[in-house]
Amino acid sequence: MIRDGALHKLSHDVRNRGYSAWMTSALLFAFYIILYYTEWLAAPARMLGFDSKWTLYGLLYSIAIVSGGVYVIRKYRHNRYQVVRTLVVIATQVVLAFSVPLILKFFRQPEFYFSYLWPLKIEYLTPQYIFQLPAPFILYSFLGSLLLVPVLGIFLGKRWYCSWICGCGGLANTFGEPWRHLTSKSAAAWKFERIAIHTVLALCIALTAMLFITYAVGSRNPEIARQTYRFQEFYGILVVSWLSGIIGVGLYPLGGTRVWCRNFCPMAAVLGLVQKFGRFRITVKENMCISCGLCSKYCEMGIDVRAYAQSNTSFTRASCVGCGLCAEVCPRGVLRLENVARQDPQQAVLVRIGNARPQGRWAI
Amino acid sequence: MRFVIIGNGVAGATAALALRARDPDASITMISGESDYFFSRTALMYAYLDRMTLRDLEPYERQVWTSQRIERVRGWVRDLHAPSKTLTLDSSVQIGYDKLLIATGSVARDLPWVGWERAKRGLVHFVTLADLERCEQQTRRGGKAVVVGGGLIGVELVECLIHHGMQVTFLVREPWYWPAALGGEEGLMISDHIRRHGVTLLLEETVNEVECSGDGHVQAVITDSGRRYDCELLGVTAGVKPAAGWLAATQTPPRTARGILTDAAFRTSLPDVWAAGDCAEIEIPGAAPLVEQIWYSAKRQGEQAALSMLGDPVDYRPPIFFNSSKFFDIEFTTVGRVNDAPAGSRQFYWRAPEREASIRIVEAAGAVIGFNMLGSRWEHTILERWISERRPMEYVMPRLREAQFDVEFGRLDLAPALEKFLSRGPEPEGAKR
Repeated sequence: MIRDGALHKLSHDVRNRGYSAWMTSALLFAFYIILYYTEWLAAPARMLGFDSKWTLYGLLYSIAIVSGGVYVIRKYRHNRYQVVRTLVVIATQVVLAFSVPLILKFFRQPEFYFSYLWPLKIEYLTPQYIFQLPAPFILYSFLGSLLLVPVLGIFLGKRWYCSWICGCGGLANTFGEPWRHLTSKSAAAWKFERIAIHTVLALCIALTAMLFITYAVGSRNPEIARQTYRFQEFYGILVVSWLSGIIGVGLYPLGGTRVWCRNFCPMAAVLGLVQKFGRFRITVKENMCISCGLCSKYCEMGIDVRAYAQSNTSFTRASCVGCGLCAEVCPRGVLRLENVARQDPQQAVLVRIGNARPQGRWAI
Repeated sequence: MRFVIIGNGVAGATAALALRARDPDASITMISGESDYFFSRTALMYAYLDRMTLRDLEPYERQVWTSQRIERVRGWVRDLHAPSKTLTLDSSVQIGYDKLLIATGSVARDLPWVGWERAKRGLVHFVTLADLERCEQQTRRGGKAVVVGGGLIGVELVECLIHHGMQVTFLVREPWYWPAALGGEEGLMISDHIRRHGVTLLLEETVNEVECSGDGHVQAVITDSGRRYDCELLGVTAGVKPAAGWLAATQTPPRTARGILTDAAFRTSLPDVWAAGDCAEIEIPGAAPLVEQIWYSAKRQGEQAALSMLGDPVDYRPPIFFNSSKFFDIEFTTVGRVNDAPAGSRQFYWRAPEREASIRIVEAAGAVIGFNMLGSRWEHTILERWISERRPMEYVMPRLREAQFDVEFGRLDLAPALEKFLSRGPEPEGAKR
């Protein structure tokens, strides 16, 4: 039942795909189109003393994360995991993603975002780009992408990045909080997710490989170079501009906050694969679930958590970003995020269950 | 083989899925007068709070019933004729069965108040989908509501009414909130918590009369003490009773007492008719007749009844009791026997400083028998294990940490509890108030 009162009704409307949600979505789309395809934001940026519209965008992004983060911390103040996690998200955005690049620029160093790594930021393993930077940046990029990501993923799961560090995840978990429940929980959406995200990952790896080849032999094979740069341009428009920015954020009020992270982000795909063989899991307390469905409803990644909880199945899903909201909203304390040495790594894989359970395995 | 199940609640739905898991060919039909699809009754409050839609309350995607070939029929069963193995619905449609499971759940308990029969509008329960609809019709921001009955459903209804801006008076007959489950200290902590949410909670108030306007709308309740509480919405949450009354009007009712009597394999007195869940009263040799009316027991019984219908030998014994609930923001886990502890038991109670959390552990004859945990999360299976292993409190206390289930960074600090235990030990049972 919707709460009485104009503000409450508006709040319901904007959270539940009402007219105001469609308008909010249209505004977000318009903002991103203006940002990517015009220079309209250059003037206000100059007025603030920034030399680029992207710095202004960084400022707006930080403001969204800080204010949304304060709201989230207040809302979940009784839950230490949520408070600590959100503080880290805010600090990462303000320090690593906004202030440090400005400071670097001030000291005439290259613009560099320590909170982003390949394959999310594909330039950071693009030889044509990264080898121009000073050695410490190159070292950070290679070690970070190729060592830090998998190692931390094994021990902590995907969450160390996707819901603690990443700016996309940070925006989703703060500014996006009112819309987290809109992500589709259907088995069909899950199927789309698996196809889409691995397609983008394949494109990303192929592009990176081609860029390395071009770097090595491009000067002698101009046709390879030409095709590579065409592919790079296509990837930039499709994945970087449209999927991560315009669609990813524009659809917040209609499709939930993790459209990009769930379906398209190559970083999430890599971490998801690592997670399935790592230690992270969601432990389900036996026989304590009342099937209320709050866990599923508030899962921003569209995981039907209830299907696991009501069948007493602890699980690891590649898409789970470990935001911990399922455990937070559970009224019976059934769920817990854990990093455990697993005796049976197949346990999780066994339950390919869509929104239900596999044939002949109605474990009750 | 045609299996028919009356009721699509958790017992009925669990039984249907369990039957299908074992018998791929049988015809399975689930009849419900209340709803088209199985939904989570325990989550009704979240629809009321606008945190969920009614559709969200359905534990399975709808295609599951199609893919599992479980036929759903909407209607109230009016007649049961055992010799011809036929059910008759209120629409006069007849449905034949080979094996029948009655899983009709519970209905709200009425109260013997003066004026009860005159109350046509404004008096609500909070058990069924229809109840939710009636509650929503009477909910008005700024309006006055009275809720009577200090159990779990009561506090859930109160939370919903507060959320919707009603002025709520919560009348509880007992000296503290929910003495059936909580000790005095816990009751006090929960009472404080409820009051802090803006509820007028009044203890030791027994209603004996309801006042209505000429057209039957509830206006006020009057208590034993003569006090009068105005209300336009009167929530009555005085517990539930097995939904077995409808059988009296049928041609061949099975034997009933409090509920539908069954043996330990859920067989009723009628041939090929089983009963399970809240509506069943199980006669277990050497024990008192058992009526279990919580979500977990209904799920368990539904599964076991299905096995019995499939011909497996079933000899139902309830496991060590456990339950959970939530009072506004305070979560509750209980395992074993706490408030029905035998004479001579010892108790250890500890209230966390600066946090609404407490633990109570009961020990009898040198072994722990029960836990009441409030405000923090516990892995109840470990607590159950300690009970079944008959561990003494001296064993349990230093290991309590192993059973904690709190979120990361949010673990309740048990060091002061252990310190209190080591310095003072448990107290004799009489000290619990």
